[in-house]
Amino acid sequence: MSGRTTFGMIDARERVTARICLSQDVSVPGMLHAAVVRSTIPHGRLRRVDTSGAWTVPGVVAVVTAADLARIPNLRPVYGPQIEDQPVLAHERVRYVGDMVALVAAENARAAREAAARVVVEYDPLPAVFDPIEALRPDAPLIHELRPEEPHRGHAVYFGLRPIFGTNCCNHFRLYTGDVERGFAEADLVLEETFRVPAAQHVAMEPHAALAYWEDGRLVVISGTQTPFNTRQILAQLFGLAPEQVRVIVPPMGGSFGCKVFPRIEPQVAVLAYLTGRPVKLVLDRYEEFVTLTRHATVVTIRLGLTRDGRITAKRVQAYWSTGAYADCGPDVARKGGFGSVGPYRIPHVAVDSYCVYTNLPPAGAFRGYAVTEVVWASERMMDIAADALGLDPLEFRLRNLLHDGEQFATGETLHDVHFRECLEAVARALHWEQGSRERSPEGCLRAKGLAVVMKGMTTPSRSEARVGVDRAGRVTVYSSTVELGQGARTVLAQLAAEPLKIPYTTVRVVDPDTDRTPFDNRTTSSRSTYMMGNAVCQAAEQLARRLRELAAERLEVAPEDLELLPGAVCVRGVPERCVSWGELVTATGSDELQEHAVFKNEGGLDPETGHGIASSHWHQGAAGAEVEVDPETGQVRILRLHAAVYAGRVVNQLTAALQNEGSMIMGLGSALFEELVYDEGQPLTTNLSDYLIPSFLDLPATLSHDLLECPGAEVHGLGETALPPVPAAIGNAVARAIGACLTELPLTPERVLRALRATRREAS
Amino acid sequence: MGQVVRLAVNGEYHELSVLCDETLLETLRDRLGLTSVRETCGIGICGACTVLVDGRPVSSCLLLTSLADDAQVTTLEGLVGPNGALHPVQEAFLAQQAFQCSYCTPGMILSVVALLTENPTPTPEEAAAYLAGNLCRCGSYLRILAAVEDAARRLQQTGKPSR
Repeated sequence: MSGRTTFGMIDARERVTARICLSQDVSVPGMLHAAVVRSTIPHGRLRRVDTSGAWTVPGVVAVVTAADLARIPNLRPVYGPQIEDQPVLAHERVRYVGDMVALVAAENARAAREAAARVVVEYDPLPAVFDPIEALRPDAPLIHELRPEEPHRGHAVYFGLRPIFGTNCCNHFRLYTGDVERGFAEADLVLEETFRVPAAQHVAMEPHAALAYWEDGRLVVISGTQTPFNTRQILAQLFGLAPEQVRVIVPPMGGSFGCKVFPRIEPQVAVLAYLTGRPVKLVLDRYEEFVTLTRHATVVTIRLGLTRDGRITAKRVQAYWSTGAYADCGPDVARKGGFGSVGPYRIPHVAVDSYCVYTNLPPAGAFRGYAVTEVVWASERMMDIAADALGLDPLEFRLRNLLHDGEQFATGETLHDVHFRECLEAVARALHWEQGSRERSPEGCLRAKGLAVVMKGMTTPSRSEARVGVDRAGRVTVYSSTVELGQGARTVLAQLAAEPLKIPYTTVRVVDPDTDRTPFDNRTTSSRSTYMMGNAVCQAAEQLARRLRELAAERLEVAPEDLELLPGAVCVRGVPERCVSWGELVTATGSDELQEHAVFKNEGGLDPETGHGIASSHWHQGAAGAEVEVDPETGQVRILRLHAAVYAGRVVNQLTAALQNEGSMIMGLGSALFEELVYDEGQPLTTNLSDYLIPSFLDLPATLSHDLLECPGAEVHGLGETALPPVPAAIGNAVARAIGACLTELPLTPERVLRALRATRREAS
Repeated sequence: MGQVVRLAVNGEYHELSVLCDETLLETLRDRLGLTSVRETCGIGICGACTVLVDGRPVSSCLLLTSLADDAQVTTLEGLVGPNGALHPVQEAFLAQQAFQCSYCTPGMILSVVALLTENPTPTPEEAAAYLAGNLCRCGSYLRILAAVEDAARRLQQTGKPSR
């Protein structure tokens, strides 16, 4: 950080004093508290929901089941961002343990929870399925009946879904390039392996929290969501309202990591608020968090064709994504994971089939890394397996096959601003790769190094709009719908608005998203905000600077080019006393605030039939490396060094960029070593931090470091996720090398490592 | 049913009629409106709801308020001095930018206050071991360790006890 200006978070003081008002802290007078009655079986018909016990609890105001929803005129009680398959409340059928069956609203949270516990639900169990491959069998129980005439009515759809009707597959993404069979025929060596990644939990420290009320026929929702505009649209659709009749306000969040993408509990609080005529707030407890959204459990089979000299001739990928009981954005996860599974390599013949499959488990959706962690685990483990089979150094093997600037990716798009090689080389340097990658510690532990590279797309196409305004007091405000979830969005946007206006960024106010006040943005996902929203804010601020100059030129009767923009004023160059303040200029226009509006878009998209087109308008690029030590007696893995190198283009804020990289790596470490959601016949066994571990101080590697690679004049690249996906693969490659065994399944628990080690020993003896 | 409990919260005396199964977290957050006291796991693992009870760090989600009768309770709100002056540990977190979403920050700061009271010059390993019960999902751990070091320095310089 030396030699650079440090930009601390503009809301840092609010954060260390806890004065920051998070969504769970919001309250309004007369507010009721809600609780949810959830299914206790994975699949079944609802025989009876007896709410009489709930009414005996003092303070209960409403107990609502699916039948009560008919009291809301024009309600279409089903929603979903890509497939409208999720009922507001289970109707006739429950599809997973945790499915919402009834809602309670009461004067206080205790009463609501107590009443919810007294609702008696009787079921007729149905056969259930939990594995995405089993769920595709012809005899598997069907979880939804998707019909060709209405395959995808969701409105956040921006690509053609391809369900396989009559099965549990709600999207089949295909990417075919060249002739994969010919590619395998040309190969000297063909390898095939199957890899598995379990479901995982985001564990945002702040749970989902939402508050809704109705005001003159309009719905107001205050919610910790990464998707204010999608949520507005889906709620409007649900209640038969125009989008403008719904207002979504987003306070800052205590973390999210993807779990607050698309509506989760907003439809339910809105329904309760409608039926009670009072504001209603719902805050989920930790058990509910664990059954609300997960990362996809994934099975990926890769077949790789290779020449003796280490070129890849063909790659065949079959990926199965367990999306749980409701599709959420699973279809898109299967798509992004589909093209993501190819990796940043020159491969003439590619065939990818990626299936998003319903199972009787909690819904799976966005999770930091968005499908890429799963496919990088498979793809980059496979690269090491291939390097070993060819007798090549894993770094050298990767460098031989990496795509270069100007080359075509499997989708047919030409890649620019390509930096995979630099990322890998930076990692190799940090690990002292040249000093050999395998040894035994004095205590008899097995040590080795491993690395992995990542190529991750950014949502394409998408749009971000921003307004930047200056008021009569000369105060600058950014109006943006990018949400603050701890990544430092407010700070970075303030910086980008301050630059063209030449003012200190700490004087810029950034308004929290409010669909009535802040302009449209796709959503705060995909590591897109600093680039997409950043560009919109920057343009709006530049326009505002120009506008101020023009107004001052008229006022001072000089040419705009003779004027100089100074903080808070415009002056005649060289004549500092001929000055006019921004506030005076605004006042002279007669308005309270002078605003400029800008739109930034990226263009592209993939043909749903072929998978060809523009998958991403630019690519997040990175690599990670790990040096590990494995205790051969216990299977325990200790990480000595973890390093990531991420292409940043231009770093806007070194501090938040470093924090995002470190946080991504630590999250990746959790996925690598212990994070795993476990179910027994659909019953979740890991429902709190007692059973589901996340990294603590004691899990930090002895050395945790990273590089942010920049290029003069390059565009900004988002950094929210890139350092995560390569970490489990880099650790896995290191552990596999250390123990000389093939590892295909995450996480690398001591049991799993020991099993692999013993299997290798048996083979050897 | 209810029980009357006397608590000194951030130096202010309260006499409250609490439910027999009411947790200190509920009392502080829902009854007294101290929103720095935050729940994540509710089972005493994550440390987000840490408060100081008679100077010792406690998971307020696990302590029944009825068992805290006559206790001195400090929440993050109580660290701020007159005129809004930040506590040296808060200053250190601010200077080192030791947070991202900052949800864990109140519990983390209070644990650091307790740590530095017990051990004014902890090594990074000692700090990590002491703070292992405070989880940060954003993974700001390196900055937090830097803040511990910074806070220790600040407290030594001022020569004041950490609380």
